[in-house]
Amino acid sequence: MHIIVPLRQVPDLVEDLEIDASGKDLDREWLKYKMNEFDDHALEEALLLKEEVGGAVTAVALDGGEVDKLLFTAAAKGADRLVKVRGDFPTPLNSHAMARALAGAIQGLDYDLILTGVQAVDELDGQVGVLLAHYLGIPHVSVVTDVQVHDGKAVVHKEYAGGVMGEFDVILPAVLGIQAARQTPRYAPVSRVRMAMRKSTIEEVSAEASAEGAPDIRKLFKPEKGAGAQMLEGSPEAVAEKIIHILKEKGIVQ
Amino acid sequence: MPELIPSREVFRHFPFWAQFLFYLTAFAGTIIFFYGFYSRIRKYRQGRADNRFDHLTRRFLNALSIVLRNQTLYRGDAYAGFAHSLILWGFIVLFIGTVIVFLDHDILRLMGMHLLQGTFYLWFSLILDVFGLLFLVGLFLMWARRTLIMPYKLDYARVDRDEDEYDRSGYLADDGFFLGLLFFIGATGFLIEGFRIYADQPPWAGWSPVGWLTAQFLSLMRLSPATVNFWHAAAWWTHAVAVMIFLAYVPFSKAMHMVTDFVNLMFRDNRVPRRLPGVSETQLKEGMGYKTITDFTWKELLDLDACTKCGRCHEACPARSAGQPLSPRDLILDLRTFADATFGTGEWFSQRVKGWNTDRAVIPGGIIKAETLWSCTTCMACMESCPVGIEHLLYIVQMRRTLVDEATMDDSLQEALMNIGDYGNSFGQPARARGKWSQELDFPIKDARREAVEYLWFVGDYASFDPRIQENSRRVARIFHRLGIDFGILYEGEKNAGNDVRRVGEEGLYEMLVEDNMAVLQQAKFQKIVTTDPHSYNTLKNEYSEFGLQTPVYHYTQLLARLIDEGRLRFQKKLNYQVTYHDPCYLGRYNRETEAPRKILRALGVEVKEMPRCGTNTFCCGAGGGRIWMDDAHIKERPSEQRIKEALTLGKLDYFVVACPKDFAMYSDAVKTSGNEGSIKVCDIIQLVEEALG
Repeated sequence: MHIIVPLRQVPDLVEDLEIDASGKDLDREWLKYKMNEFDDHALEEALLLKEEVGGAVTAVALDGGEVDKLLFTAAAKGADRLVKVRGDFPTPLNSHAMARALAGAIQGLDYDLILTGVQAVDELDGQVGVLLAHYLGIPHVSVVTDVQVHDGKAVVHKEYAGGVMGEFDVILPAVLGIQAARQTPRYAPVSRVRMAMRKSTIEEVSAEASAEGAPDIRKLFKPEKGAGAQMLEGSPEAVAEKIIHILKEKGIVQ
Repeated sequence: MPELIPSREVFRHFPFWAQFLFYLTAFAGTIIFFYGFYSRIRKYRQGRADNRFDHLTRRFLNALSIVLRNQTLYRGDAYAGFAHSLILWGFIVLFIGTVIVFLDHDILRLMGMHLLQGTFYLWFSLILDVFGLLFLVGLFLMWARRTLIMPYKLDYARVDRDEDEYDRSGYLADDGFFLGLLFFIGATGFLIEGFRIYADQPPWAGWSPVGWLTAQFLSLMRLSPATVNFWHAAAWWTHAVAVMIFLAYVPFSKAMHMVTDFVNLMFRDNRVPRRLPGVSETQLKEGMGYKTITDFTWKELLDLDACTKCGRCHEACPARSAGQPLSPRDLILDLRTFADATFGTGEWFSQRVKGWNTDRAVIPGGIIKAETLWSCTTCMACMESCPVGIEHLLYIVQMRRTLVDEATMDDSLQEALMNIGDYGNSFGQPARARGKWSQELDFPIKDARREAVEYLWFVGDYASFDPRIQENSRRVARIFHRLGIDFGILYEGEKNAGNDVRRVGEEGLYEMLVEDNMAVLQQAKFQKIVTTDPHSYNTLKNEYSEFGLQTPVYHYTQLLARLIDEGRLRFQKKLNYQVTYHDPCYLGRYNRETEAPRKILRALGVEVKEMPRCGTNTFCCGAGGGRIWMDDAHIKERPSEQRIKEALTLGKLDYFVVACPKDFAMYSDAVKTSGNEGSIKVCDIIQLVEEALG
């Protein structure tokens, strides 16, 4: 069972984000990157599947930012093979460009299953997996919370709005967009990350990536705050009374 | 009539075959003893190397002093200490007496000499009689303790397993057998003496007061001389066989503590656990920490055998006391049972644990449950209370390293470690925000990376980021400023010092933090380090030296106490409060600093009421060793809440004084959760200092 997990670097939201001079992107000079949280779940699910049915997990990431650290962290968690995709990628990266680059890189690799995070904090459209499946010509299911693999197919649970769950049989190879792994993504012990830095090798492949089809960003701006907040004051009991009153008024509680 | 020279025959009225039979029995007992002894040595030799062979003479004399004075046993339990002194000294004197008899009869006699006669014999008789009696009294006191007094620490019930999951009747049998056999040997010894004196009526019988008294009782039975001789022989043989059984029993039982505990005390390392061992290159390759019993060092395997189940650690442990599934005693005993199962050694009487798969060799998470290891607060109460020098914390941390390596941990701990890795603090705040607390001061604090300072203040995570504690940090800054101390901080250059990260078992992250902090420290210009956090204090003072830090490190209470001595810190008004002071584990116990904070309190004029557990015997707040980052919602009664209760037994108190940012957070919470908001207030010692300065 060969599982590929594309990993995306996203801006670290703990740090203050600034908008650059163009007004269309973040100021990336001091930007700190981290692994997209959903991709971390995809990696976790891949590692769990490997532990269950055997095989290998390949982590794939596009060049840029702190990509080596990202891949070594994946190795520390248990990824067997690390692939860095080189190429001329647009900034900010969008789902279309990312999917094309990944498709180009993955075409040359063995795979039975590709697990992506369902979306990323810097690109909430959730299209990378969908487009990747399209370029590779294989099936795709998104918003997946449970994956089981038997005899060349996967049985997956897909989450719908309103708590509805669907179960799908998917013929492999396929792309799955992971909403959440079965357990909290595992910790990467620093000694293992450091060991990976010394011992693991990162393979490099090149890929083309046009951003065609992606929306144009005209303006990036911080959320406007201030409107709509109402401060409730008084004793805890009085505040509680007011909250109940407001909730009733808005029809949220009866 | 020739003058009678006081003496006695060793083999009184014994034919040759009986003497031969005795030597045969003695030989068998000795062979079994040495076989058992050898199999123990063989076991320790399978442990990893650990060079503890420095200062051998000093080590030997130190152990001798502790053992002969029963020093560690009196502490906290005078009854057990006293009873043990009687047994120990009784045993030593009787043992020396036996050796003298052996030398005299089996060696000197062959050379035509006879030592045990005349005055020497008389004094010999008297001394052995007195110490024999003390020996029996000691054993009786211990028996009474086990059967009548029954202190909690001697209860073998486990906190981490249900009653039907283990069987410890073997332990009770061992205790009974050990005490009983020793008492039997002592009592039959006096019976032999009694029958001999009854039969021979030597004029010097008064030199054997207990034997003489026994003879007086026996003579009430009005036995014929032949019967007396028969009973003498019977008692003699019973005694001899019992002694040989004891000899054979020693290396397979708790009696072995006579040897193992001396050696264990001799080879203990007083720097543990202030300074923990790093990770070797081989360990890095083969996986961190301790997975199997052969990962343990010879000293640690010896530790496991040294335990006498005295239960002091079991009683002292805050995790056990909070209902967590950890008892240091049971951890040691489980490891011992498992080691014996692995090496094919063992005790005559031991415990059985159900559901152990001894083939599955991984200990952390298998033989020892992960939640047991995660319950430890690394407060060191176990090691402090252990009379025989067991270093529990060493392997708790080593096994935690394995758990971390396998990423088996609490979600909130994982998050804290990831935050520390990403931002250098457990709060998940950007590094830039580290110095923010100082912005509200009306003077700037020097940036020690840019300006030379005398004191570099290593602030620590909690004092920097916890909004409840930031005001205390500002108080410290204002007082340093006011006293004219030339000090600075590292602002965003400082990262978590790593004390608790290391004790969680995340050694790689610890090394990274040390490297990052050292890089900044090497670039900063300062002469001394002062910390507000006892945890940072411990690692900076004791562990950073391995990474090149050479400046002295002080806790802020030490600095303030010195300023009081120098007359630079003088208080305008005396505070009229009744307070108690809580010693932080990492200051009071780990680093033995109990005096500096008390000196400050005395100078403040407050009345200090000491809690029963104070000084180096302090009780943990429950936050150490990374516990502050773990989920404590399921804990029955948190150690911090127990501690507040302990303080409230002292009567009226204005303040519960702390000298540790984590303590301030823990006890402020505990006062609320235990519903004592009206009765006691928590404050940092710096708050009182500021108030008294006016």
